[in-house]
Amino acid sequence: MRCGSLCQFLCLWLCLSCVEAVPTQKIQDDTKVLIKTIITRINGISHMQSVSKYMVTGLDFLPGFHSVLGLSMMNEILETYQKILINLPSRNLMQISNDMENLQHLLQLLASSKGCHFHQAEGLQSLKGSILEASLYSTEVVVLNGLKAFLQTMLRQLEFSPEC
Amino acid sequence: MTCQKFFVALLHWEFIYVITAFNFSYPITPWRFKLFCMPPNTTQDVVLPSGISKNTSDLNGQYEAAVEAKFNSSGTYFSNFSSKPTVHCCFWSEEDKNCSVHADNIEGKEFVSTVNSVVFQQIGANWNIQCWMKEDLKLFICYMESLFKNSVKNYDLKVHLLYVLPEVLEESPLLPQKGSFQLVQCNCSVHECYECRVPVPTAKLNYTLFMYLKITSAGVVFQSPLMSVQPINIVKPDPPLDLRMEITDSGHLKISWSSPTLLPFQLQYQVKYSENSTTNMRETDEIVSATSLLVGSVLPGSSYEVQVRGKRLDGPGVWSDWSSPLIFTTQDVIYFPPKILTTVGSNVSFHCIYKNENKIVSSKKIVWWMNLAEKIPQSHYNVVGDHVSKVTFPNVNATKPRGKFTYDAVYCCNEHECHHRYAELYVIDVNINISCETDGYLTKMTCRWSTNTIQSLVGSTLQMRYHRSSLYCSDVPSIHPTSEPKDCNLQRDGFYECVFQPIFLFSGYTMWIRINHSLGSLASPPTCVVPDSVVKPLPPPSVKAEITVKIGLLKISWEKPIFPENNLQFQIRYGLSGKEVQWKIHEVYDAKSRSASLPVPDLCTVYAAQVRCKRLDGLGYWSNWSSPAYTVVMDIKVPVRGPEFWRRIDENTTKKERNVTLLWKPLMKNDSLCSVRRYVVKHHTSRNGTWSEDVGNHTKFTFLWTEQAHTITVLAVNSIGASLANFNLTFSWPMSKVNIVQSLSAYPLNSSCMILSWTLSPSDYNLMYFILEWKILNEDNEIKWLRIPSSVKKYYIHDHFIPIEKYQFSLYPIFKEGVGKPKTINSFTQDDIEKRQNDSGLYVLVPIIISSSTLLLGTLLISHQRMKKLFWEDVPNPKNCSWAQGLNFQKPETFEHLFIKHTESVTFGSLLLEPETISEDISVDTSWKTKDEKAPTAMVSLLLTTPDLEKGSICITDQCNSANFSEAESTTITCEDESRREPSVKYATLLSSSKSIEIDEEQGLINSSVSKCFSDRNSLPQDSFSNSSWEIETQAFFMLSDQHPNIISPHLTFSEGLDKLLKLEGNFLKENNDEKSVYYLGVTSIKKRESGVFLTDESSVLCSFPAHCLFTGYRILQDSCSHLVENTFNLGTSGQKTFVSYLPQFQTCSTQTQKIMENKMCDLTV
Repeated sequence: MRCGSLCQFLCLWLCLSCVEAVPTQKIQDDTKVLIKTIITRINGISHMQSVSKYMVTGLDFLPGFHSVLGLSMMNEILETYQKILINLPSRNLMQISNDMENLQHLLQLLASSKGCHFHQAEGLQSLKGSILEASLYSTEVVVLNGLKAFLQTMLRQLEFSPEC
Repeated sequence: MTCQKFFVALLHWEFIYVITAFNFSYPITPWRFKLFCMPPNTTQDVVLPSGISKNTSDLNGQYEAAVEAKFNSSGTYFSNFSSKPTVHCCFWSEEDKNCSVHADNIEGKEFVSTVNSVVFQQIGANWNIQCWMKEDLKLFICYMESLFKNSVKNYDLKVHLLYVLPEVLEESPLLPQKGSFQLVQCNCSVHECYECRVPVPTAKLNYTLFMYLKITSAGVVFQSPLMSVQPINIVKPDPPLDLRMEITDSGHLKISWSSPTLLPFQLQYQVKYSENSTTNMRETDEIVSATSLLVGSVLPGSSYEVQVRGKRLDGPGVWSDWSSPLIFTTQDVIYFPPKILTTVGSNVSFHCIYKNENKIVSSKKIVWWMNLAEKIPQSHYNVVGDHVSKVTFPNVNATKPRGKFTYDAVYCCNEHECHHRYAELYVIDVNINISCETDGYLTKMTCRWSTNTIQSLVGSTLQMRYHRSSLYCSDVPSIHPTSEPKDCNLQRDGFYECVFQPIFLFSGYTMWIRINHSLGSLASPPTCVVPDSVVKPLPPPSVKAEITVKIGLLKISWEKPIFPENNLQFQIRYGLSGKEVQWKIHEVYDAKSRSASLPVPDLCTVYAAQVRCKRLDGLGYWSNWSSPAYTVVMDIKVPVRGPEFWRRIDENTTKKERNVTLLWKPLMKNDSLCSVRRYVVKHHTSRNGTWSEDVGNHTKFTFLWTEQAHTITVLAVNSIGASLANFNLTFSWPMSKVNIVQSLSAYPLNSSCMILSWTLSPSDYNLMYFILEWKILNEDNEIKWLRIPSSVKKYYIHDHFIPIEKYQFSLYPIFKEGVGKPKTINSFTQDDIEKRQNDSGLYVLVPIIISSSTLLLGTLLISHQRMKKLFWEDVPNPKNCSWAQGLNFQKPETFEHLFIKHTESVTFGSLLLEPETISEDISVDTSWKTKDEKAPTAMVSLLLTTPDLEKGSICITDQCNSANFSEAESTTITCEDESRREPSVKYATLLSSSKSIEIDEEQGLINSSVSKCFSDRNSLPQDSFSNSSWEIETQAFFMLSDQHPNIISPHLTFSEGLDKLLKLEGNFLKENNDEKSVYYLGVTSIKKRESGVFLTDESSVLCSFPAHCLFTGYRILQDSCSHLVENTFNLGTSGQKTFVSYLPQFQTCSTQTQKIMENKMCDLTV
């Protein structure tokens, strides 16, 4: 576990050293563009175009709603969604998953430009394979819906230069 | 009792044996050992095998097994062998001098014992045995080679290996139970060789494997002692791979090989090589831990053989087999490396050792050549050693293939001689450009690259490799050590296409092309692409185009494509719809803009519009153009104006009431914007006020004009409304008598254009415009009319005027108060004008012709007898003429004599000994131009004396008169062509000429000039020449003096009255006067049989022109003039021309050109 964290840190450091010259404004703009792109992708999925507002229970592993998000919190939530998306065997989500990975890196780059250091996100303990297999459709709809809402919140927060 | 004690003792002994037997087994050695087996009843008399010492005192060591054990023979273990004889076996190896004995008694019990100083007689059976673990660590192999002696035969030999591998790892494993052994059949691979294979799990490599061998042959069972081994200790690697030898840059021989990759431990290697050269023979055996070995300097013309084997470096192990021997032979000239594959711009070096006649050449004497054509500068040489020379090529260029040779041959030479061997240098330009494009959905990036720019290297393969960084690209892309291959497909256009899907939008994809070849691999310069920066968006959707109502702009609207989310710029192209649209481009840089309104010249046509987009920051590509959107033609605004209209008044009605028919032309789209639904006629009278009448789509409307003034307005109405700017026309009785047009003239330019001009008198009324009306005279079925602005004084009417018809033109002044009185003229046709001119000219010409003819006839009669004298009196000064030197022109003996003299200097002069005189009469008549321009008639009469009229050529006025001139003006030009080829001399007597004076149209003064055209050609008889093409033409010409008033030349004008055919400017040469009454016409050669002479009335230039008198322009005149001048002033200088103008004094030419309009000249065609 420690080795994993160290490796991740080293990778991030390597990444940051490579793109050291990228202006912060560009990173922020690209982050926003990528968020919008992911939201548009979610909206473009056929079964995501008419989703009811009904509460779906049994999917407690999803991150809760946060009205105010710091960069660290954003990173944690993104990490959680990313892990969920990886476990969803939908082909539609492969591109979104790649975008999420890019988004995480952009967020980390943005945070590092502000001197923030992220903690290693906790592993997703409650994501059970049985739930995914049994309720794949529900999970996908709810996860994408939640992700979209989170991204919209994140987009708003990025306008105000959030803290760590 | 004793038996009982013995029994107890025996049991105790056996127990001890069993206990010890479990703890002792023969440890298998990593090397080969022997198994000796003695048949029964031979144990007392044993003979030691050779090499085994009988002294047993030194039998000690780690493998000393001074153990005796006895197995219980019960059970299945030995059940099969109970009836067979027992054989005692023992192991022996060079390292272990002990021999383990395996004995079996008759009762079926056996025991295993190791006997100190055991001596076995060699009469038994012997086997060489070697066991090892294969390199894959999965198979344990015991290889057994039979060494049977004496009584034991090889037939019916069966070998089994029984083994047991414990389930748990124990430090001191106990002997296994006999029932736990597993049986493996050993197969005979080759003669007398058996191989036993025992699979061993990788996890149990450290476990102790117990086993023994059972060999059955001819009813005898040989059983080996129990053996034990840990498989990991006897691993036998495979022989080293890829053994190779190469010469290093320093000239050493380097042996290198590859290590097996499956082994979990390092190996040591033993290298065995030998060198065989003319000067040295040596063998070396070295053990190294690396996978390469430098074995000293290499020598040219030597042979090297090498083998390598490997063994575990740390711990016990088995040597691998030797690798296959590799032989490396060096030539007399050694290049190292012998071949180099590199990229453009790199630096490469070759080394060379040169051996010449068993002697190695000093490196200082070595020179280098390229392709046997170019000596490499010595500055590129380096001396590495006494015998090694080095050449370096900096910044190499791509190799240019020469036929099938795709390399540069680098030669190492000994001063002035080169060995035929060479090194090969392959320089490849690997600058492959990779371009990528991300699709509009941002899910796929397609990269394309082509190999067209690089030289293909035979045997090479191309592969695209890439490395993805998590975010963005580095400033300087570099080839990353960890890369992935990417499959690319060759397209029809020669490009390779590689698709990345899905993509990481903001990751940096560093890509390069690797060229793999047997000489090495090359890589193209890496390219890094971020998919987000190479997006080609989808075309903007929902593009619409319309002409905005009431605004009149082309409005194009669109929507933003779903991707990318960046700000976009847009580009619009629009144009008139058609097959080939002439596009106009409009840029929209406002990312939020979704429409653009553009001014267009024509609002009532269909426009096509397309839109495309690109990121506003300039990254990426333009999208494709959207599907074209078309405008729909519809009413945009109210009509720009009402129709222009005119009226036709029915004259049959009474003067108080007249039927007025209004006429107007339908409004065009540009005026109606874009259609007219109906027309409305608006009336206004002082009595009835204003009222309107809807006339629908008709363009004619009749109403009754009853009042003094009746004002009409015609409005055009479309779906938007009625026209705001309209024309008014007031019909007023009083105003119809107001006349301000003083004169009106019409001049036809051609059948499609007429010029009208007019003059006005001052008026107090408010003149708005004119209406010009014309029609064919005496035909009322159709009138045409035009609205002309009031400021215009001259107007061009374009219409199809029929030449045979007569037209009537009326110009109506339109006042604000009403329509004024028109000025009407009748225009005549050209025939009429021409006829009148001809008629008028006839009255003048006839008397003149008659009087001239009479005068000429009288002159001829009177001067007939005095012709010679009269003629030669006016010969100019003979001093100026070379041929005339010495001749008495005052008293010529005969006319012929004169020419005989002349022929002395003329090549063909003799042919002119029989001159023929030709008389030609050419008259040029000019008829009256117009009735207003009473141009005088001019006539030129010319009389040429001709003794024989039949042979001469006379141009009679009636024959060549230009009576057929199509123009209104008539110009009479008389010409005559004569195709006779007989030689002739022509003379002309100029009776009169007129002075050319320009015609003043206003005053109608008569000026005359003469334009005469004479042409006569007489060729010499064909039998007088060797070639029939040699022809001589006598070209007659004359010059008219303006001092002869009795010759009237017409002034040539055309009916249009705008252009003059000839502008009379020139004057005749002054040297001619009244006394010179006879003129020589000239003799010239012709190039064409049919040619003519045209003399204008003004220039005094004799000009030739085609027989049909077709003028092509005044160029002809100039040419002819120059020809004449040339003939005149170059007399005698050319033999060919001497016969042309042998009397040049009679010739004159004005270089002043005629200003004759080209089109007018065309009209002179007869």
